[in-house]
Amino acid sequence: MARVYQVPHHAFGWLVAGTALAALPHLLHGPFWLQALLPLAVAGRLVMQRGRLSVPGRGLRVLLLGGVLLGTLYSHGTVLGPEAGTCLLVGAFALKLLEMVRLRDAYVLLVLGYFVLATSFLFYQGPLAAAYSLLVLLCLTAALPGINRPEAGLRSAVHGRLAAVMLLQALPLMILLFVLVPRVGPLWSLEFNQQRARTGMSDSMAPGEVSNLSQSTELAFRAEFHGAVPPPAQRYWRGLTYSWFDGRRWSQARPRDLPQRDYVWFAERAGTPPDWAVDLLAAREQGPELAYRYRVVQEPSRRNWLYTLAVPFADDRSLGLVRDMRLVSQQELEQRFAYSVTSYPGLAGQIPLADGERAFMLQLPEGFNPRARTMARQWRDQAASPQAYAQRLLNWFREEPFYYTLQPALLGEHSVDEFLFDSRRGFCEHYASAFVFMMRAAGVPARVVAGYQGGDLNPLGNHLSVHQYHAHAWAEIWLEGHGWVEVDPTAAVAPARIEQGLEMALEASDFSLLRRAGDRVPGLRQLRQQLDYLQFAWQKWVLSYDQTQQMSLLQRWFGRASLMTTGLLLALGAVLIVLVLALWVLLRHRAPGRTALQREYRAMLRLLRRRGVAVSEALPPRKLAGQVRQQWPAAAALVEQWARLYEHSTYAKAPGGANVTGDTKAPGIRRPKRALRQLRRRLRWVRGPGAARTVQDAS
Amino acid sequence: MDSLRRALTQVGKVVLGKDEQIRLAVACLLARGHLLIEDLPGMGKTTLAHALARIFSLHYQRVQFTSDMLPADILGVSIFNADSKSFVLHKGPVFAQLLLADEINRATPKTQSALLEAMEERQVTLDGETHPLPQPFFVVATQNPVEQGGTFPLPESQLDRFLMRISLGYPSPQAELALLAAGDRRTEALDLKPALTVAELQQAMAAVEQVHVSADVLGYLQRLLEHSRASGLFVAGLSPRAGLGMLRAARAWALLGGRSYVIPEDLQAVLVPVCEHRLQPVSGGAARSGVVRLLEAVPVVP
Repeated sequence: MARVYQVPHHAFGWLVAGTALAALPHLLHGPFWLQALLPLAVAGRLVMQRGRLSVPGRGLRVLLLGGVLLGTLYSHGTVLGPEAGTCLLVGAFALKLLEMVRLRDAYVLLVLGYFVLATSFLFYQGPLAAAYSLLVLLCLTAALPGINRPEAGLRSAVHGRLAAVMLLQALPLMILLFVLVPRVGPLWSLEFNQQRARTGMSDSMAPGEVSNLSQSTELAFRAEFHGAVPPPAQRYWRGLTYSWFDGRRWSQARPRDLPQRDYVWFAERAGTPPDWAVDLLAAREQGPELAYRYRVVQEPSRRNWLYTLAVPFADDRSLGLVRDMRLVSQQELEQRFAYSVTSYPGLAGQIPLADGERAFMLQLPEGFNPRARTMARQWRDQAASPQAYAQRLLNWFREEPFYYTLQPALLGEHSVDEFLFDSRRGFCEHYASAFVFMMRAAGVPARVVAGYQGGDLNPLGNHLSVHQYHAHAWAEIWLEGHGWVEVDPTAAVAPARIEQGLEMALEASDFSLLRRAGDRVPGLRQLRQQLDYLQFAWQKWVLSYDQTQQMSLLQRWFGRASLMTTGLLLALGAVLIVLVLALWVLLRHRAPGRTALQREYRAMLRLLRRRGVAVSEALPPRKLAGQVRQQWPAAAALVEQWARLYEHSTYAKAPGGANVTGDTKAPGIRRPKRALRQLRRRLRWVRGPGAARTVQDAS
Repeated sequence: MDSLRRALTQVGKVVLGKDEQIRLAVACLLARGHLLIEDLPGMGKTTLAHALARIFSLHYQRVQFTSDMLPADILGVSIFNADSKSFVLHKGPVFAQLLLADEINRATPKTQSALLEAMEERQVTLDGETHPLPQPFFVVATQNPVEQGGTFPLPESQLDRFLMRISLGYPSPQAELALLAAGDRRTEALDLKPALTVAELQQAMAAVEQVHVSADVLGYLQRLLEHSRASGLFVAGLSPRAGLGMLRAARAWALLGGRSYVIPEDLQAVLVPVCEHRLQPVSGGAARSGVVRLLEAVPVVP
């Protein structure tokens, strides 16, 4: 029967707590069998610790491991990828708890625990996850010295205190490494499970979709302002524009004869910028009066468009500026993404309408909405200018009984007609859609803009938190001499939506659809703001600390040195610090004045212990030799010789001193330290005390 | 050196199977310390004391302590001599080179302290006149640990005057058989031939003081003392006097072992007899196990 390794009592709690807590985050998203396996393994270990159960046999172990493998395949369909990989890892980790046969296994388990803990950051990165991982670190780090102290009667708290001190000592180093270690892009990209769909704007819009979206309380992004925050009525976060209408659905589209190169401009790519971008940059140089500077931290959206105020310029040259005054990234946002932007609302009129674009912005499908078309033509003929026509339309929205509601009526084939003349109940997308339709029908270029309007201002961080319930759609029309002009028909129907937010604009029956009733409780709102601020600060300072930020920080510290020089300097500094620390530790270790002979004695004790001879440090040389004679007879002669020499060179009177009793002369050795070392080294070739062990086991 | 070894062998022939205790007792005398033997009656305490006195050819006196004893019964008394019209000092039994104080805990504290003062000062003051005690001067006291009725247990401060406290314990089966076969040993003790003259004994005592103590051994001793104070095993730790006593005893032990230098084993050998009676365990547990734990806890090499 295999003997069960007994974790020392005082370390057992730390070990089990550390391993269980390290695996716990994975259970939150893991499959059901994993959730069952870990408690079972912990329980099994508890029983083993009591000595009631022995280590499972080889067959059972293979069976269990196979079960974990099959379970992973069953739950994830693969053993590759982050989810399946960690599932397999945590399963094997739990089984290792049962397979602790020797001290070495306990080490493996604990070191694996650190790794398992690290993998949980693949899934959770918030400030709470970080605090939790500190707790797990404490447990694991307390268990490490614990399993190395076999003596009974120690209190567990001793290890906890030691671990806490060690972690505190490691903290400065951790911060230093966090700041200085080069951020290398991932060597491989992790493909997360696509099932985790994201809510948010899509590249097309049909009636009812934005109103659905606005019932979600998920965070879309946060924007932190440096300086003035725009007033609520100007917080139009433009994400994308829809310029293609198929009668029901608005879609994002690019005019067919406008080349991609002329449509999106990536500053970091070679080549001259398109003409409109050159004009924009020139206009920016003249210093427009109004500018907002802010940094957006956007939640992963799986889309490549970013949310900014009108006419954004990004600091990050890898982002693209699109002709319809918005920013896009080159990849879809699989992870939280931060970007700094300066927006110039005054530059909106600078972008000309390209040759092919006018027709494109007037596109309407044939055969739909005849009533609206007729009215548009009539009104346009009566109006002196497109502005007057747009104003008349807005007034009409305002004065006629149009309703702003989350529960619009279902619309049929002629959606615009039905909305404008029959139901007159709609959410922002209905108004935007109808308005743009009416504009285009009257020959005014127009498009729908989708994004978010507003944002909850958090006074703690001077940032706006924009949630999915801020989703909004509005319109832009092209006016000769003014360029693109923003028009929000919703503002005409429900001005409160723009000024005060959604909940103020809705009727009572709609309000219950918003799952944010708690906001009306003042204390809760404050708490939410504080939590929001904490999370934002964490994202800003910790999660979004990337290569760009690192470089700018280092440049601020070390000036405009090249990357190479900075790197070399930092590496040199790190080596120096480590050297000084090592030297300090070494010197401090010798500080109590341990002589060479005393170190030799400790070395012998260590050697004997390594070879499995139970020796206490309270044994003087002769008794030590006596112990060796009992436990490791093969080495007895050597150790006795060593003990005699040690005793004589350490305790006897220095040469020249008179001998009182005329005892035997020193063994005639001039360099005792070396002789002792040589004797000790010869022990290496002596076969281990295997025989002594069997005697012990038998007893 | 040989004479010392011979002395040990000879005493061993009288007190059978107690080589360790004999050696401790001799070491105690060589270290100029007083010895307290604590044991049941009939275990050979008195025989050991007799044998020690004989073997070192010491002038020997024995006092059986009782509760009605007065200090004068030990120290002596001045008596007016009518013929010479002057006080003549009649010296008490304390004026001996080896005093066997049997059942010391039966005497009243007053009498005990008179003896203990003599032990410390190695002189006696009677009627304002100071009389030095003979050289060398040893006290071997015995006490019965079990029978406590009508006794006055020695207080800690006075126990401290004894360098060592040993107990003999029952003999081993072989030793007991030999003892039963040969009959009472006390007469044999009296017949022992001296192995050392007093002068030789004093020479040996001087040699003890010459035994080398290395810094390593001093460090070990200091750590032992330190640990007795810091470990919380005892009500109070060992005093510096106890440390000095340890050192003297260890030197004597080393000399008996034929060495001119002290090794940690010497300290470990004398630790229990020297320290056990000076330490009071915190709660319950015997002082002995406390001292043994002390021994196990302190590393020989820092």
